[in-house]
Amino acid sequence: MEKTANKNISISGSGTSSGGEYNQVKVNGSAHINGDLTCEEFKCNGSAHIEGNMTTETAKINGSTHIEGDIDAKEMTINGSADIDGNLFCKELKVQGSSSVKGDLKGKEIIIRGSASVQGNVSCEEVDVKGQVKIKGDCEAESFEAHGNFKIDGLLNAGTIDIELLRHCEAKEIGGENISVKKTRDSSGFKKLIKFFMSNHNDQLTAEVIEGDHLYLEHTHAEIVRGNTIEIGPGCVIKRVEYKTSLEVNESTKIGAQEKI
Amino acid sequence: MENLISKKDLLEAANISYGQLYRWKRKNLIPESWFIRKSTYTGQETFFPRDDMLLRIEKIKSLKDDLSLDELADMFSPSPALTSLSAEELTKRNIVSNTSLEMYISHHGTTNSFNFNQLLTLYVLDKLLQTGEVNRSEGLDLLDVLAKHSQNLKSNESELIFIRKMGVSFFILTPEPAKLFVESQAKIIVHYKLNQFTEELKLKLS
Repeated sequence: MEKTANKNISISGSGTSSGGEYNQVKVNGSAHINGDLTCEEFKCNGSAHIEGNMTTETAKINGSTHIEGDIDAKEMTINGSADIDGNLFCKELKVQGSSSVKGDLKGKEIIIRGSASVQGNVSCEEVDVKGQVKIKGDCEAESFEAHGNFKIDGLLNAGTIDIELLRHCEAKEIGGENISVKKTRDSSGFKKLIKFFMSNHNDQLTAEVIEGDHLYLEHTHAEIVRGNTIEIGPGCVIKRVEYKTSLEVNESTKIGAQEKI
Repeated sequence: MENLISKKDLLEAANISYGQLYRWKRKNLIPESWFIRKSTYTGQETFFPRDDMLLRIEKIKSLKDDLSLDELADMFSPSPALTSLSAEELTKRNIVSNTSLEMYISHHGTTNSFNFNQLLTLYVLDKLLQTGEVNRSEGLDLLDVLAKHSQNLKSNESELIFIRKMGVSFFILTPEPAKLFVESQAKIIVHYKLNQFTEELKLKLS
């Protein structure tokens, strides 16, 4: 690969490049990059297709980008759409449009305001979802905050889990220290509109197992809930609750069996 | 698999909470392969290998005040720490005995500094000599087998086995945990998890 550090590529219109090392890569039309790309700054306002891996300090995708390999970025903002066939390593990721990752997603701070889907596992320090996220594997974080819709096929494992439900949320297993699941309270504007169209979808969380130190659950359907201090709010259907220190149950909730350990 | 402990019993036996267990899992202090899922009458339950798990939790609890969780994770991971030490430092810090060091040097030749893999070999040799489980000539066999095959033992679960039958002895290295049945005259002298040595050595070096 030719080393062309400190050089820039700018493609306006339609163009092809062979990849390499650059300072700044800007795509305003449509670009096809045939190899691995290393740069300081990547910006795509049109459409870009990269047939390899990309390593960059910052990436901003306003149009649509398809990457056949892995991405390693310090900072990445997706306002349009991004499809990544490999893994995505990104310290600070902000998805305001849509993104799909076929591999794993690793990072420090992940903010999702649009929609994101990950086929592999997600691990990072903070996940903040106000939109929709689908994860086929496990999701590990120190803090997981979701005001929206999520579906996790594996384990959701986080220190602090703070969920405001929108429509039908799902996780196979949930584990952590502090877990709070609440129904969205402010039904204003946009959410009201969604609810109007999706009137037959109730806000609800379904999980097989939920385990943690301090739990507060509303509108949760689960097989087993285990914890130290458990407070169960309205609208839950839980087959079995095991608790160590305390258990409070709302009247409108159905619990199959409860046991103090 | 026998000798498993359910998650509930484990939490009670080790006196830890769900939150701690999940946190340690997140920090990779407990290997994924120790989480064994089984169906029971209450649905899916998670089980753990009892002895490994209790030992690991004991270690985490006793060390977590001095080391951060990330440092602990480094210690438990089978990947080598990035250290090298000179022969002088090794004896000065009392990591291995002089005898083992001389044996190693006469077998492999002198080196200025030892990398982690070499240190581990040296440490295993020293340990087995000190416990009296192997003698000097068997120690040389050990150096041979470790030199030839240690690069194939990257996994968490590699084991070292030493068997003696009527004065004839040999070493076995296995990348997977092994259950052995031997004939009545043969005796399994040692059966160690290599990762245990790695942890001990990392602790001594830190």
